[in-house]
Amino acid sequence: MNRLNPLHIGVLLIVVLLFISSKLVESKNQLLEVKISYQETQKVAIELSDLKKVYADKKRLKKSLYKILQLSSLRSANIVKTTKKSEIILSSKSMEKKALNSLLGKILNANFNIKILKIKKLSDKKASLYMEIKW
Amino acid sequence: MKFNKKLKTIFLDRDSKEFNIVGKVNIVLSPTLYWVKKLSLPVKYARDAKKLLPSIFEDSVPEGTYSYSVYKSGEHFIAFAYEDKKILNLLTQKGIKNSQIANLYFAQTELNTLETIYKVDKEQVVCVQNDIVILLPSVLFAQSKRLDMSEIKHSKHRVTLTQFGHIVDKKSLYKITAILIAFIALVAIELFITQQKVQTVTMKQEELFSKYKLKSTMFQNRSMLKKYNTIHTKQMKIRIYISAILGLRLQKEYKLTQLTLKNKMLVATFSGITQGKESRITRALQKRKIAFKPSFKNNLFKVEMAL
Repeated sequence: MNRLNPLHIGVLLIVVLLFISSKLVESKNQLLEVKISYQETQKVAIELSDLKKVYADKKRLKKSLYKILQLSSLRSANIVKTTKKSEIILSSKSMEKKALNSLLGKILNANFNIKILKIKKLSDKKASLYMEIKW
Repeated sequence: MKFNKKLKTIFLDRDSKEFNIVGKVNIVLSPTLYWVKKLSLPVKYARDAKKLLPSIFEDSVPEGTYSYSVYKSGEHFIAFAYEDKKILNLLTQKGIKNSQIANLYFAQTELNTLETIYKVDKEQVVCVQNDIVILLPSVLFAQSKRLDMSEIKHSKHRVTLTQFGHIVDKKSLYKITAILIAFIALVAIELFITQQKVQTVTMKQEELFSKYKLKSTMFQNRSMLKKYNTIHTKQMKIRIYISAILGLRLQKEYKLTQLTLKNKMLVATFSGITQGKESRITRALQKRKIAFKPSFKNNLFKVEMAL
């Protein structure tokens, strides 16, 4: 005898359908979450990568700074360069106003992380300088 | 292990007394519980003939929900129409549970070889007329012998009762089942695709981590980004503020004597400015929307700009 109740089959299929549907909803929500997470990761990654290139690329920053210091306008400025693990200190007890303008112009137009800056006017043509650049 | 045990066979009729059954039994349905026709049909197989049965029985049976079966007997087809629900109800009335039924047979298939007339109970006899098993009142055949059900050799023509055929007919049931299965399949495919997408996005995210050499957690990465953003904002402000200070058009006697950057504060010190004459400097800074704190000390005018 066929003892299968069609209602039981129907209920079973509906239960299966509901179960899979709930899994689908769960999965869709998961997809939405991972998409949001991916977009956020992408945004953070790109921004972080760009900022790191600007402020944490020690090799590039060093190269760029040394290039500035080798400018002919700064050769006579008596700039003392002290390099430490995570920073470089530039100092001059007395330097020409013209040289100072040149140095500041170059450094401020580049992306150095200036931590400390002290410029003191000594006379109409001379000034002292102390600058700490971090990387 | 299956034991080859001969089961008891009972004859079920509307007038049968209530049965007291132990174990399983074979049941032979009385001719009063089904409609039977001997047919000559222009088809070869029983399965083809079965399709024609609803229309063949349509005009000869009372209104109801019928199931049909047919088998071939020589050149003819023996066709049946029966109401599952009525037979099931009768079985219940007579104290027979579904679980106690081994097999169900029509009297037509089991008793069609009877050569004489037999009594099935006090009031009825069974006999075969023109190949059809029929019931007759026993008063006409008082001398007939009692039918011994234990001697019946069962045929292979078993009856299948559809318990819930009266609720949903088979076609509708198949349609509903097919629709539900189709839905399940669609949802399952969609689920599979979605999970694949989740996997793909997760993999792409992992690729981002290795491509950009990110830290293992987003918390660390966000924290680093915040740190670098703070540095960037501060450095931009330093450049804007120094540009504003160096771009000031000072009167000849005014001198910028010192510029100091330390601890998130940029301080510009001017000499040669008497108190109240500093407005040119302050106006220029206000115009560039720079927040500052002016002060005079020892004839020096100081402008403090927070970074």
